[in-house]
Amino acid sequence: MLSLVIQNAVAGSAIGLLYGLIGLGVVLFFQTTNLMNFAHISSAMLGAYLCYTYTVMWKLPFALAIVMAVMSVALYGLLLKRFVYAPLAKRKGGRLEFIIATLMLSVFLLNAVIVVWGGVPLPFQGLFGSDRFPIFLGNVVIQYHSLFVLAYITVFVIALQYFFTRTMTGKSLRAVAQNPRAARLMGINVDRMLNLSFMLSTGVTALAGILLIPVYFVSLDLGSGIIGVKGFACAVMGGMKRPYQALLGGVLIGLAENFVVLFVSSTYRDVITFLFLIIFLVLRKQAEA
Amino acid sequence: MRKRFLLGILVLAILSASMVSMAAPVYKIAVVAPFTGSGSILGDYIRNAFIMAVEEINAKGGVRGRQIEYVIYDDAAAPATAINVVNKAILNDKVDAMFGPNMSSCVLAVHDIAKANKVPMLVGATSPSFGFDKVGNEWLFRLRADDEVKVVNLVKYAVDNLGVKKPAIIFGSTDYCVVAKDVAVDEFAKRGIKPVSMQQIKEGEKDATGQLLNIRQAAPDALIGLTHEPEAAVIMRQFRQLGFRDVDVLGFSAWGVPAFTDLAGAAADGVISVQGFTPEYQDPKVQEFVQKYQARWKSLPSDPAQAYYDGMYLLANVIEKVGFEKEDIRKGLTELKDFPGVQGPLTCDAKHNFTNFSLISQFKSGTWNIITAIR
Repeated sequence: MLSLVIQNAVAGSAIGLLYGLIGLGVVLFFQTTNLMNFAHISSAMLGAYLCYTYTVMWKLPFALAIVMAVMSVALYGLLLKRFVYAPLAKRKGGRLEFIIATLMLSVFLLNAVIVVWGGVPLPFQGLFGSDRFPIFLGNVVIQYHSLFVLAYITVFVIALQYFFTRTMTGKSLRAVAQNPRAARLMGINVDRMLNLSFMLSTGVTALAGILLIPVYFVSLDLGSGIIGVKGFACAVMGGMKRPYQALLGGVLIGLAENFVVLFVSSTYRDVITFLFLIIFLVLRKQAEA
Repeated sequence: MRKRFLLGILVLAILSASMVSMAAPVYKIAVVAPFTGSGSILGDYIRNAFIMAVEEINAKGGVRGRQIEYVIYDDAAAPATAINVVNKAILNDKVDAMFGPNMSSCVLAVHDIAKANKVPMLVGATSPSFGFDKVGNEWLFRLRADDEVKVVNLVKYAVDNLGVKKPAIIFGSTDYCVVAKDVAVDEFAKRGIKPVSMQQIKEGEKDATGQLLNIRQAAPDALIGLTHEPEAAVIMRQFRQLGFRDVDVLGFSAWGVPAFTDLAGAAADGVISVQGFTPEYQDPKVQEFVQKYQARWKSLPSDPAQAYYDGMYLLANVIEKVGFEKEDIRKGLTELKDFPGVQGPLTCDAKHNFTNFSLISQFKSGTWNIITAIR
């Protein structure tokens, strides 16, 4: 029984970290723009599909393909800012308009991907270690892929922390999010900072999308599935503030899912997990009040 | 001026009328299949095989001297879209017969339109829920073995040939999966067997560890997989990682197609599946079809291509016998017996199914090895 619990905890944490990866991008965007991008998860999907195209179809080296995919999606982020955010902001369109516009955008992008790549999940074998030979710790199985994710997250969170607290650009980004007017008065180029935060959040999410391929395949589930909702849930559970809290939120969701299957029933997994999430949010708000 | 204008119109009218009467009459068929959305890969197989049959028949002079003309529609595997395109095909484009839709949910949504307009509808969808015994639509026919038959055959093989006594079942949440689960549980019960564990995985879930660990606790001797392709791949990869020993894996039809084996990679090795068709089957009719398909489309056919190829030929055969009256064609289809198709002899049964043909095969190092064929 003990090994069963540990195995469930390991598997739950591994998938939870993936949810957290998506949550990270949400927090990052919110921290720098004070906005929610409902097409957030589409960046992950685009990242995965572009990486597939560059590697499998154009036969480019994998490392180069990753860089190109992330840069392509960051460019898309710039276009998003230029053609969706900027016109809305100019006409005094508020946050609500941005949310609805990005919600539409996510549907548009999903259907665009269906037209270009088709609706069938694409196989992309052998990414981030073979899944045939996992690591055994006693009876407990750990995937190589999970180690990649863990390593990436560790480096990324430390780098992010450093960027936001120690570099001028990072500090400027935060200043713009907190008070754009004051930031402008202090001589910060607000427009350039906004460009940067759009590119950063979409690019980072594209990278997360590529990291998700071994589990999600190159599939529409990356752009339409419940993972987007779970990404937002992680971010909100973490209070939309600190990246590592979003990761923690993700792990909590992953654990909840696996233990519902173990102790209750696989049929009620999402019902109970999301009920638990709602209760958690309500209780936390009460604790804060 | 006005007289000349009227005269012009009259001349035009006469000209166009004579053009219509000069054009040879054609027999017009609609193909409704998914080309976008979740089932998009199926659309290509269906279209390719259908076009191949039409080209062959037209090259030999058509049916009763009429060339076959076709219009292809995309239902995006969505019932709402299917209703739109079927209405357009029947009411605007005035087709004489229809192949598809290929998704059971779409068939359920549209088969009444075919009935109301008396258009024969031949489909490759496999849910038992729209059989003639269930919905009573005399215009609706099925070109493939239905899921009930396939699951019955799978369970029969598991118990009789593999000696399975303690099966565990993992199933999805769509109609396709839940119907299969119910049939499987019934069939096991008939043999005095109760599954030791029943677990569900919802479409889109990427982690089956929890379910598989529960199954492992129950110590089954076989895993029966009744899910769609992506979930099948998720299950099999984690099944291998979790180190199951001496457990046979038997999967439903979605576990027997490239969409599953490509995603699962090496983890699919050893899986036994029930299939309606596989290009590896060494039957002369099947091999002839596979060669023609490869020559025409430079790729291998997959289920359900054979069903629509058979369908076009059997429809042409019925028309040759009875003529172009829709009511006669309907009756002719109902009375069809032992028509030689790629799937073996095709006979319309009480459920309006033309075939119960299925194969039990095992996937080994990249190919399907056929264990047994069941008619």
